[in-house]
Amino acid sequence: MGVVVKKVELSWLDRTYVWPVLKGMGITFKHFIKQLFTPTSKRYTIQYPDMKKVMPAGYRGLHELKRFEDGAIKCVACFMCAEACPARCISIEAEEFSDLNITQGFEEKRPQVFKIDMLRCIYCGMCEEACPKDAIWLRNDYEVAAYDRLSMQFGKWDLMNTYAEADGKARITEDPIPSAPRRAIAM
Amino acid sequence: MDTLASLLHTSPALAWMVVKIVIVFSAVMLLASVWTWVERRGSAMIQDRIGPNRAALFGRIRIIGLAQLLADGIKFFFKEDLEPTDVNKGLFWLAPFLAFVPAMMGFAVIPFGRDFVSGGATYHLSVLDPGNGMGMLYPMAIGGLAVYGVLVAAWSSNNKWSILGGMRASAAMVSYEIGMSLAVVSIFMTTGGYDPAEIISAQGSLPWHWNVVPQFLGFIVFFTCMFAETNRLPFDFAEGESEIVAGFNTEYGSMKFSLLALAEYAHLMTASALVVTLFFGGWQVPFVAHPSVGLSILSFVVKLLFFAWVFVWIRWTLPRFRYDQMMRLGWKAMLPMSMVNLVVHAWLMSHGR
Repeated sequence: MGVVVKKVELSWLDRTYVWPVLKGMGITFKHFIKQLFTPTSKRYTIQYPDMKKVMPAGYRGLHELKRFEDGAIKCVACFMCAEACPARCISIEAEEFSDLNITQGFEEKRPQVFKIDMLRCIYCGMCEEACPKDAIWLRNDYEVAAYDRLSMQFGKWDLMNTYAEADGKARITEDPIPSAPRRAIAM
Repeated sequence: MDTLASLLHTSPALAWMVVKIVIVFSAVMLLASVWTWVERRGSAMIQDRIGPNRAALFGRIRIIGLAQLLADGIKFFFKEDLEPTDVNKGLFWLAPFLAFVPAMMGFAVIPFGRDFVSGGATYHLSVLDPGNGMGMLYPMAIGGLAVYGVLVAAWSSNNKWSILGGMRASAAMVSYEIGMSLAVVSIFMTTGGYDPAEIISAQGSLPWHWNVVPQFLGFIVFFTCMFAETNRLPFDFAEGESEIVAGFNTEYGSMKFSLLALAEYAHLMTASALVVTLFFGGWQVPFVAHPSVGLSILSFVVKLLFFAWVFVWIRWTLPRFRYDQMMRLGWKAMLPMSMVNLVVHAWLMSHGR
């Protein structure tokens, strides 16, 4: 069954072509005036380096490794995120540390190396989903760019301090508790 | 003026002529280049965009992006002046000037202000004084020459797309010229002369006595034909990205391209000056019978800029015509309409109205 195309019958006014042109000019002029008197902050265009888009909650951008109040990393190096990662961009090396205390949640394992290859990462958020300790979060920051490939390899301290100033948190470059040499496991 | 002339060891007439030429042509050239920016910002505003606003003098003074003109000019000057191997070199170099010069020359007879008397001598505010015997025929003839700019640019490029664009643009310009001329003829008829000064003084200072009201049909025809003459958007057949690359200026680069692009805007300025002179009373100020010289110049400039803006405005309102549609409009609508206009006004005149 074909579709019956209804032919539009133009009135004599529309056939003169002058009146529709004037109507069209009215529409464009309305847009012109509207845009002219809209303040820059309310225009559709976000003039990027000067203005930044506010990302919605739930936007998946740059990762952050969360920490406790004393600066100890929340991550327990369980490798769940590395397993969940579809792009295989997370590489973790674990280490042990002693001096169990409450803020640490009685953990004795933490990553010595926690590396995310931001060039490989697809920002899917699976690591965030997989993490049993809520230690890795994807933030709203989207300006992840660098001049060379090496600086796109984000290490543990890069990830723990991602945009730390913006959060008002101090930068840390050191675990509060030193790592302990691997204990002999009593069999 | 006399002191200036004596300082330069010339006659006052010559000094006045030089001053007029410098002022008029530099103003038109400046307006043409400013209008490239107005076109871009205006189109951006019409389409809810922002347009070029970042170019700044010394990286600091932004003046709403007006420095874009300078940036464009500098960029075009310093680009490599590339010349394809198989072009006709002489014509290839000549074409931008053939496009630009007629566009500017048409302005010569347009009076842009009231005559004034100073020191016993009458000064006319138009490059060619009234009563030169050419009158409005001159811009029409020069407008006809503008075809050569497009056609020579197209032909010398030795490029199929260019030739297609140039051919159909020149066909459009030539066929719209007839309707345009007939619309102008009826104005000559009702005025009783073809000198722009006569046409303006015949229109008087009351807006409903301006030619646009009794000859509205003629105005529609003339204005539409001006779009075809200037090769602007509803009828821009010289160009056409989707079908013939960039049309007649495909092979052009650097300052030659810039001249071709500027020629379009200079043409636009001349066209709106013609519309103002023929249909909107030229330098006449509404409701002021004897305006001062400054006021009359201001009135002319305001009208000129308004019509130049209308050219931009319509460009971003209407989609392009197809070639056959445009030809049909030109021959089957514009030509009969201007003929009807002519005959009706002839009949009205013969009955003494």
